[in-house]
Amino acid sequence: MSFVLLKRAVKTDLDKVAARYPDVPRLIILKTDVQRRGVFYTDAAIELLDEAQHQTTGTHIFGARDGRTAVRPESLLLRDGTSIITTPTPMEEDPYVVDVLEGEPWLFDNGMSVESVDYWPAPAYYAKSCRSGVPMKRIVSARPQRLNIFPYRYCTFWNDAKGCAFCDIVVQLKKGREVLKIPAKLDPVEVGEVIGEALKEEGRFSTIFLTSGSITGGVRPFDDEVDYYIALLKEVGKNFRTKKYPSQMIATAFEKDQLKRLYAETGLTSYTSDIEVLDEGLFNRYCPGKSEWIGYQEWKRRLVDAVDVFGPGRVNTGLVAGIELAGPHGFKSEEIALERTLSEAEDLARQGVSTVFIVWSPRPDTPLGSYKNASLDYYIRLARGLHQLRVKYRLPVDHDSYRNCGNHPDTDLSRVLPLWEDEL
Amino acid sequence: MTDELHKRIGTLLADPGTIATIATLEESGAPCCVPSLFLKQDESGMLVHLELLETSSTHRNLLRSIWFDRPVSVTLSGREKQVLVISGRPHKALVSGSMFTACYREVRSRMGDVDLAAVWLIEQLQIRDETYLIRKAQEEALHPFYQHLDRLVIHHE
Repeated sequence: MSFVLLKRAVKTDLDKVAARYPDVPRLIILKTDVQRRGVFYTDAAIELLDEAQHQTTGTHIFGARDGRTAVRPESLLLRDGTSIITTPTPMEEDPYVVDVLEGEPWLFDNGMSVESVDYWPAPAYYAKSCRSGVPMKRIVSARPQRLNIFPYRYCTFWNDAKGCAFCDIVVQLKKGREVLKIPAKLDPVEVGEVIGEALKEEGRFSTIFLTSGSITGGVRPFDDEVDYYIALLKEVGKNFRTKKYPSQMIATAFEKDQLKRLYAETGLTSYTSDIEVLDEGLFNRYCPGKSEWIGYQEWKRRLVDAVDVFGPGRVNTGLVAGIELAGPHGFKSEEIALERTLSEAEDLARQGVSTVFIVWSPRPDTPLGSYKNASLDYYIRLARGLHQLRVKYRLPVDHDSYRNCGNHPDTDLSRVLPLWEDEL
Repeated sequence: MTDELHKRIGTLLADPGTIATIATLEESGAPCCVPSLFLKQDESGMLVHLELLETSSTHRNLLRSIWFDRPVSVTLSGREKQVLVISGRPHKALVSGSMFTACYREVRSRMGDVDLAAVWLIEQLQIRDETYLIRKAQEEALHPFYQHLDRLVIHHE
């Protein structure tokens, strides 16, 4: 099947939005809109996929909007080096289409070519298997410059049916176990070995990233999660000659003593704890497990505590942007949502905590899955607002940048943050 | 862009005596001109400029150029006093993949423990021959009113 297609002749909706925001790069607006609407890969686009050269979908920790677990391009690169983390989406939901034009993959909108893209290049270790026989790409996945460890594919908040309302991690765990043969909990030693193999590739990776579902157990709540991360990071750290190495962890909001242990005992250099939505009422409603075990205000306080441990510019929190507007409980307008969200983000920023967002992809196996995400204008204004807070409060966000993550339109804008060291 | 011009650029870039510089625009509009130590031309005629530092002014300016369609300029100065000035625009920043890896190895083999932030492909839009003797002859032929007359007077010994 091929939808090809017309060379651009008329203005797209994207062009119209881009004209309204001349200070925001069109490529970042495009990325944001692709994340917002999703993508559909044509058969021709999938035929172009060569597993020896291109990275195919790996660990599937979160599901696609079309509910399928299939071999497809993991994601896309734009010509400014920006990544688009793509979520395959059914055609009836009006996604962008990835098809082939003159032998190359392109993004299309309503049959019009929009922008050339590259599939993510395959790392060398993707062709190898662990001693256990599991393909290495199922243990540690990759982005263009990042190694991803998803060590625990369960979240204990789900034990009491208190998983986050936008998250399908446990649904994906079951699919992963059955279809992909991925163990639910990874062996730290095996993870360390895969990282070692991956690092043999010169010039490929610039950060180690890990995240898992929350683990509430332990003497203090979440001690088990902390202990597991420490075990993993120690094994990863055996590959480096320096004690510290560029790394990011997205984890539960830990107590300060737990954070101190993480920092002191491992090579971890940054810390992210996703509050998901910057409104206490919506947090309680959409993140009931986080609310019950920690609470909104305490979550924020722990983020601020983390700045004492990891340093300014090394701590941030993430939003699943769009859920604040979803359904009958969401904010009544995008204006209100922006004002409230940026106000809360500023409260964190002035205390050294940066806020980033991902564009919410409503996934079919989630309580919020039947709602739509926000308008493109909303996401552009949010990206611009969060970037401006980083400028105002002098907060670098290198650890969650286009290189080290690639999933945040706002940190793409922060590629040109002022360099405060120039003032010295 | 003709094949002949591409060949001249290729010849200059193949000579280690050639000095290459890249000029970009700061956010303020001020020009920023620095050496481009690894400049080459690929088979498609793109200039290939390597940026070693993520936070260098040139890297950030190139990013602004690809985002907001701002021009860049590359100057090649040959050992025989030839000067070519190429106006262009950034086409792509490679941050991963086989070409990036090859360039990463190259810079490290030449400079030791250094890093590579991006491989910039620059589309050549216009080339000017700014070699002084060529430009001098051209100006004297086409713009004779700009000469000082003392250069034209008869000198009696």
